[in-house]
Formats: sequence, C-alpha cells, structure tokens
Amino acid sequence: MRPIRNQPSTLGLASGTAGMLARKGSSQVSGEESQMSGEGGALTRREMLGMLGAGGAALALGGCGGSGGARVDESAPEWRRYAGTTLNFISENTAPTAAIVANLAPFKQLTGIDVRVVQLELAALVQKVALDFAGGEGAYQVIYADPYQILAPYADALADLRQFADDDKLPGLEDPNDFFPTQMDAAGRFVDERVLALPYDAPTMIWMYRTDLFDKHAERMEQDLGFDPRPSADSTWEQFYATSKWFRDESDDVPFGHGNMAKQHDSLMNDFSNLLWAYGGDYFEDGQKVGRIGVTEPGEPLLDSPEALEAADVYRRLVEIGNPGSVGWDWTGLAEGFMAGGMAMAPLWHEFAASIEDSDIKGKVGYAPLPKGPKRRACMYGGCGIGINGTAPKAEQEAAWLFVNWATSPDIQLSNLKSETGGGTPTRASVYRVPEVKRARQPPSDLPNVLTTNAVFEAWLPENIGLRPKIAAWNECDTTMFTQLSKMLAGQQDPERTMREAKRGFVRAIDTAASLARA
Amino acid sequence: MGAVAAPKTATAGPRDAPAPKRRRRGLSFEGRLMAPALTVLALLSIFPFLYIVALSFSRVGLLGGISLEWAAFDNWTRLFSDGAVGASWLRSVVYFVATVGLEMFLGVGIALLLHEIVRGRNVLLSALLMPMFMAPVIVGLLGRFLTDSTYGLYAWVLRETGIYTGEILGGTTAAFVAVTLMDVWQWTPLITLIVLAGLASMPKSVIEASSIDGANYWSRLRHIVLPLISGVLIVALLIRSMDAIRYFDIITNTTNGGPADATKTIPIRLYETGFRFFDLGYAAAIGLSMLAVSIILANVFMNQLKRRGLAK
Amino acid sequence: MSDARGGVGKRIGVPVLLAAVTLWTVVPLLWMVMSSFKPSGDLTADPPKVGFTPTLEHYDTLLSGNNIGGYVTNSVIAAGVSTVIAVALGCLAGYGLARSRFRGKDHVAFWIISTRMAPIAAVVLPLFVIFRATDLLGTTLGLIVAYLTFNLPFAIWIMNAFFADLPPALEEAALVDGATRWQAFRRIALPLVLPGVATTAVLCLVFSWNDYAFASTFSGPDSQTLPIAASQLVTQTEIDWGQLTAIGTIVVAPMIVVGLIVRRWLVTGLTLGAVTGE
Repeated sequence: MRPIRNQPSTLGLASGTAGMLARKGSSQVSGEESQMSGEGGALTRREMLGMLGAGGAALALGGCGGSGGARVDESAPEWRRYAGTTLNFISENTAPTAAIVANLAPFKQLTGIDVRVVQLELAALVQKVALDFAGGEGAYQVIYADPYQILAPYADALADLRQFADDDKLPGLEDPNDFFPTQMDAAGRFVDERVLALPYDAPTMIWMYRTDLFDKHAERMEQDLGFDPRPSADSTWEQFYATSKWFRDESDDVPFGHGNMAKQHDSLMNDFSNLLWAYGGDYFEDGQKVGRIGVTEPGEPLLDSPEALEAADVYRRLVEIGNPGSVGWDWTGLAEGFMAGGMAMAPLWHEFAASIEDSDIKGKVGYAPLPKGPKRRACMYGGCGIGINGTAPKAEQEAAWLFVNWATSPDIQLSNLKSETGGGTPTRASVYRVPEVKRARQPPSDLPNVLTTNAVFEAWLPENIGLRPKIAAWNECDTTMFTQLSKMLAGQQDPERTMREAKRGFVRAIDTAASLARA
Repeated sequence: MGAVAAPKTATAGPRDAPAPKRRRRGLSFEGRLMAPALTVLALLSIFPFLYIVALSFSRVGLLGGISLEWAAFDNWTRLFSDGAVGASWLRSVVYFVATVGLEMFLGVGIALLLHEIVRGRNVLLSALLMPMFMAPVIVGLLGRFLTDSTYGLYAWVLRETGIYTGEILGGTTAAFVAVTLMDVWQWTPLITLIVLAGLASMPKSVIEASSIDGANYWSRLRHIVLPLISGVLIVALLIRSMDAIRYFDIITNTTNGGPADATKTIPIRLYETGFRFFDLGYAAAIGLSMLAVSIILANVFMNQLKRRGLAK
Repeated sequence: MSDARGGVGKRIGVPVLLAAVTLWTVVPLLWMVMSSFKPSGDLTADPPKVGFTPTLEHYDTLLSGNNIGGYVTNSVIAAGVSTVIAVALGCLAGYGLARSRFRGKDHVAFWIISTRMAPIAAVVLPLFVIFRATDLLGTTLGLIVAYLTFNLPFAIWIMNAFFADLPPALEEAALVDGATRWQAFRRIALPLVLPGVATTAVLCLVFSWNDYAFASTFSGPDSQTLPIAASQLVTQTEIDWGQLTAIGTIVVAPMIVVGLIVRRWLVTGLTLGAVTGE
C-alpha cells in the first residue's frame, strides 16, 4: 500500500486505501473511528485507462454471457435506467443477507429492478460461484465474494467496480472513505488497484463471556488464579486457558469453561489462526500484506516455524480442556452450545450477538477483543464484500452496480442493523455515529450487534485484525490446514507433524494452483 | 432424441402391415425399437467417457471457459503416489465393508423374522421399507439433527444411558460409525425386501420335509434355507454394492469428510478435488479409477446372473 | 418354517426383535415429522421434548417466505419429465432387447448396466463441461438430461427383465392372426407388463426426485430442486430445524406413498430383474 496524499481526483476517481472509489471527493472520518481511516489518493487518467483496459480484458475472457435479461432505458434517471431487469444475488446465508431479503421492496421502488436471492452455506456458495464463473453463464450477477475463497482465486472473473463508480450514467458511490480502510482492502481488493467488491458484512472473532458467571466468581477466581479473570486489555491466552480450566473444575454453573469451533471445517482454520498470530507465527512472510491486499506468489509457507509449532501446541491443549463438543462444532454448533449453557466463554464471530441476545442467556454476555499472545492480539476478520460477475452481460453488470451500491450504502447498512430478521454489523463508519446506534452500545440494547462495537473496533485496528492469506490457492490451503489440525485434535499426530504436513500441503496447493493458472 | 427409424414406426400405427420383403437391409424391428434409447444413452455415456479420459491427461484451466493443456501422465502418476487418495480408498473399503456387511446381516435377519409371521407382515414390511424412499440428503440432515450434542435425540439417549457422552460427529470413530449407521438405516430395508422375496419363493415341500426330520432352526437355516436363497443373496449383495459406491450425499451433508479425514471416502475426495479445488484433471483421474472399480463390480454382477441363469 | 419344538424363545423372541427393528426404523422418521410441528422453542430443548402443542408455523414460513413453490415445480418437472422419457424409451428398448438375438447382445447389455453403475461423482465431472458447452447449465432441461444418465439405462434394463418374463407365444399367436410386430407389442405385450411400467416409473421418479449431487452441481437460480432447498436451510447463524424437518417431510412423504403403491413389484425393479417378487 503506497501512501498517497488524500486529495480529490479530477477524474472523480481516487486511488489509495479508502479513497479508491471516491467520486465527490473524500471526507474525513471523524471521532474515534478516525484512527482507522487511511489515506486517499489520486490517479492519472492514463493509469486509470490502463487499469480499465485490464479489467476489460478480464471481461472479454468471460466469453459469452447468459441469457441476458437486462433492460436499459437510456433516457431514465440514473437509478431508474434498468427498471424491469431481474438480478440474481448469490450469497452466503448470513444475517445481513436475511435482512436484505426482508428489505428488498425499497430497492424495487427505487430502481424497478427485481432481485432474487439465492442463499447457500459457505462451501456450497464457493462451489456454485466457481461453477458459474467456469460455466461462463453469468447467471448470478451479484456475488457475495468471500475475499479468500472467491475473490482471490477468481479475481479475474469479477468486474472492476471503478468502471461503474466512474460512469456518469450510473450513480456514484456515497462517500467511499466511509468504509473502514482495512475492510476496504481486505474485502475489496486482490493484488492490484482494482476494486472487486465493496465491504458488505464484517464478522470478526471476539471473546464472548458470561458476565453473570464471571461476576459471581470473580473474587474466588482471582484468589485461585492470581489474576482478575475478567477480559481486559491485558488478558492473555494463557489466562484464558487457566480461566477455562477453573470453570471446568471449580464451578457447577457450566460443565466447561470454553468451547471451540474445531470441526474439520473452515471454522477450525479461523479459530486456530487467532493463536497462530498471537504466538508470533504466520502463514507467509509479510503476513499482514498477504492478508490485506493479497499476493500472487506468496513464497514459502512459514508453518513450521517454532512460533507456529507453539501455537499449534497451545491450541491443542486449549481444545483438550474445552467442551468436548468442540471437535464436532463449526461456528453454528459452537454458538448453539454457548447459548445452551455448555460453557462460560467462547471465541466467536461477533455477529452471533444478535442470536445470543435473543436466547436464554440474553443480557448475560459480555463482548471483548480476543486475548493477547506473546506477540500480539489477533482477531480473525471474516468480512466479505459483494461484487459483480464479470461474465454477465454488460447491461446486467450495470444494473448489478445499482444493487451493490445500494446494499452497501450507509442508509441500508443502518436499516439492516435495525432489521428484525437478521442484520449484520455496518461496514460504514458513519452508521456507528448515528445517535440511536451510539446509545445501543450499552445494554439493554435494541440493536444487539452494536453491543459488540467496542470489541470489534479494537479488533479492526490494523495491529489487531487477523487477516488470513489472500492467495489463489487458498481453498486447498484452507482445507489442508483444517484437515491437519483436525488430525492433531483427534490425537493422530503431534503439533510438529501437523504443521509440517500442513506446510507440505500448502506448497503442493500453491504449485497446483500456479500450474492451473498457466493452463 | 436421435432421428432414427423407430419413432416413425411408432407413429405409423397399427394399420401398418409388415412388409419385410420390400425393406432393404437395415435395422430389424427390435433394432428400431432400441435405436432411440441407445442413441440417447450413447450420447450420455460415450462422449462423457471420452471427455473424462481427455481431462485426466490434461491441466484444466477454468476461467474464461474450460481449456485443456496436455499434461501427459502427470495426473496419473500423482494418483498412484498420493498418500491422501490412498487413505481415502482404504477408508472407502472399510466404509463399504461396514455398510454393506451390516446391511446384509441385518437385512437377512429382519427378512427371516418377517418370514416367521403371517398376520400383519405386509403392513410391517411397508413400515420397514420407508427409509429407502428418502432422499439421502434428508437422511444426512436428519442424522445431524439426531446426533447433535446440544439437542439431538440420539445424542441425549446415548448420554443418559452412559454409552457415549462425546460429540458424536466430532470423534473419529464415532463419526465414522454414525455415518455408517445412517447408511445402514436407509438401505437395510432394500436387502430385507430382496431376501424376503427369495424366502417366499422357496419350495414349501423341502422346508416341510426338513422340519419332519427334526432338524432344528439354526441347522435348517444353515443347511437348507441359506443355500436355497444364495442366488438372491448374491444379487442383493451386488445391487447394494454398486449403489454403495455411487452415492455420497449422506457424508456430504453430515461430516463432509471430517473429523481428521475419518469419513473422507473416495467420492468425497473426488468431489472436493473437482469442485472445491477445481483441479479437474486430477479429479478426472480419480473418477476414472472409481469407474474402473464399479465396472469390475458390474462385471461380477453380470457373470453371477448368467451363471445362475438369472440373466434375462 | 415353524420351529419343530415351537420354542417359547421364538414366540417371544420374534415379536420383541421385530418391535426393536420397527423402532429403529420408524423413530427417526417420526421424530422428523413431529419436529416439523414443534414450536421453535421446543425444537432444541434439552432433554428432547416429546409433549408439545403442535403448530403449523414452520410450514407457514416455508410456504410463505421461501418461494418453495418454485422448488416444487422444478423438482416435479425435472424428475417427472426425465421419468416419462426414460420409461417411454425404456419400454421400447427393453422390449427390443428382450426379443432380439444378435451377436454382441451381451456387450450391449453390459454397456447399458455399466452406465447405470457409474459413480455419480465421476459422471458429474464431464457432464459439467459438456453442459457448459451446450448451455444446459442452470436449466431444468439440464437436470432432465442429467437424470437420464441413470434413469434411462435403468428403465431399459428393468423393462427388458419384465418383457423377458413374458412368454413369446402370446405375441406369436397375434402375429399369426395378422397383427404387425408393432401391434403385437403395443396391444399384447405392453398391457401385460403395466405393473412393470408403473414400478419402473416410480423408481425412476424416486431416484431423480431424491437427487442431490447433480442438482447441487448443475442447477442455477431457475432450476433449484427441493433437496437443494433443504440443504440451504443450514445457515451460517443457525440451522432452522423446524423448517428443515418440515421440508424433509414434504420431500419424503410423496416418495414413500408412491413407493409403497408398487411394493409388490419393487423387488423385480430394484434387483434389475434378477429376483422376482411375491
């Protein structure tokens, strides 16, 4: 990321961290969020044309499109040009999409476009999207682009959104600097300057704990353990471990201290990565860049470093004393276990707050950033952007822009937050400054996800955010990682062998992906 | 449907008199009946087969349309040196033996029980057959519901009785046993049905004669009944075997191969290689190896049918 | 086959064992149906609840919110049309195969059966590429074609078995009376194997209705089928077991009904003609 001065672009197109899609100039983010805002920048016309050319080539690669159902009315106002079109939005079945589905009427009213939403489990979604790209169908114009499993491996099949933001016939983007810079990069970009998706949701792993139980036992625990067990800025994973053990052995309120999402599933990689980073390990050299922007040639995996081995060992010990259900739970299972009273605390995606505050343990849960390790605090970021299928016909892509633009706008992010049928957490900083949202940070809250705000703001700081590698081979690397970890947890291999095998798998996956990319 | 002669005959209707002499040498009546179906089948099988062979010798590019690049025997050498695939084959064999073995054992047992009763046999049989009409994906999801450690009925029963207290789909052995039992639950009825038909067709006189001889139940079962229905047993075994390697929906929708790869059978690995990693060339090689195994099984099936005079 | 000594063990043992088998078979099904009528709060109760006030809320949400009608239509069309084509072509070809004698017949027969036995995962792969080239991806027609890959060989094979069991003398008599070969097939042979046709149709319907692997790979936004809808209810934040068991009931019930209707002939069908039923 090269630092560029924050300056409105003459072309109405800016480059840089958050300013890449700036059109009406960039506005400064104020308040406590300002520390997270990055630098905007300018881009010359030539640079931009070159990039659009590249984007165009990627589009041409897409070959013939699908049936092509877009209607264009050239004379209509910018939001109405595609009235009568039907768009397909393929998404992971997440809370924000549930809220969008329940709230499609205003979009139809605004644009005259019908949106059909197909919601799938993440693995199924990834497969379906890849098949759609490979099929050249362009059947799904709007795509929930998981940065690691979709955006990185299939970057060339996604449309560069700058072409739409910069198109005078189409509505521009409302204040692009309002997106959090880390999210804009992590969810929206791959390797180069192209913007392939806009931040749409932002699940991040935080520490959820039962305040009722911690308060009840605080004194005894402090005596027994020698530290205040309640999550603080200084809490460490070692303390987390000791606290969990204490709950298991000393308290009758819950059968176990904590749980993990340690099923042989993507969730296991997420859960482990927090420790990997906290203990000073990483997947690749220059991990934060590999995670934030992505690379085409990541180099040698670092998974057999002493720090990584230690992290694996700590993770193994941690799962051992946790709820034995852990090894069968993905994030859903873990959240259900937590809500059913199976443990006193858990590292979980913060978006589960909405379900939790609607369950038997509502009002009894506190939210904090994950503990620190010897090296740092790392909270896995799992946010995704929504992007546009570059293999779809051009007019459908333009219609899709209206939806992408609308769904990520501050107004809609706010109404999603308030939605009764779901709702994630806003990816727009300004939403957190709305008075009623500010008020909702303290319990009792009508907007339960906002209760996690302090925790996630801390988690989203560049030094705390956990970003897994954004590389084309990630799907296979991810599978390798959680498979090897699962074998370790099943007692089939020690941490050293686990990480060595994982490294071997990474190398092979990267080789294969490279050879396929050349094909 | 192919533009073949048979449909014409079909629409020509009953008034059409046979005119064998005027017809030039061509397809016989039977040939014309078979032509449309076999043409469609050829399109659906031979072309895909050739294509999968081609894929297996290629590196397959995906974006911007499928492109094949000659890769010689890369995928094949990898197949035979890939320990993970070998492990999956091994797991498939164990899974196969466990499911089909249990299904045969239970299926025969249940059929023998049903054969003992007269009143209510049909009603009971109908009830027992129900699982085999279910979509395997529903069986898998239902299995997940029943074994969930937080609220699953079976998990609760096992916990309360102290038989198993862990997370069922989280333990390597337990998960393997669970997906095996889900398959057994669904497909034992098929064996029961087939074996029961075999039992019903046994000549009564033989049974009665042996029962006068005073032979007890078990020795009669071993020396008379089982030999009498051995043909049917072989058919049941082979039919089930061939389907057992075809389907993978139950595992996909429960453990999807985990934990620790304990349930990653070869179809799961093939699907993952093809449609998660999109390494289509390598997946094609795995697929062809599976195809070879199923063709061997089909061969055994045909030979058995012929040997026992059951082929039609 | 009654025990000569008529043991007490048998008089008690058989019913007890049968009861156990029935429980093992029926409980999961009952649990599914029961759960589909349970209020949401009771669904994930620990310990599991047996007594509850039945509710239709899950069927309501399913029918109102999820465009379930579209899934049903797709399922009916894909499975139905594929069945009709398979059975029609299968009747013709099955009869042809049963009545013909030619060199290499065994090889043709083996080719047909091996097509049916091919592992789904291996078939999906090349079909995907072919469908992509022929624009069949994401269409209901594509699913129909995909289902033909297993239904057609199956139908040919079974109908062959049913026709082969028919003594040729009946048709020969008709031919002597001046009927054409077609008339003999249409008027004599076919009516006699109607149960076979029905069984074949039911089994083809069950196989394609229950398909998950093909539909999850080939279907697009306009061609999703019911099993896909079911798997989609597993969401990131929760698994809606109420709706899931409701849709499970909807998927399963019709197949059990049609399956049991043709129970008498099922054995012949399921063993590809190798075993004849009661």
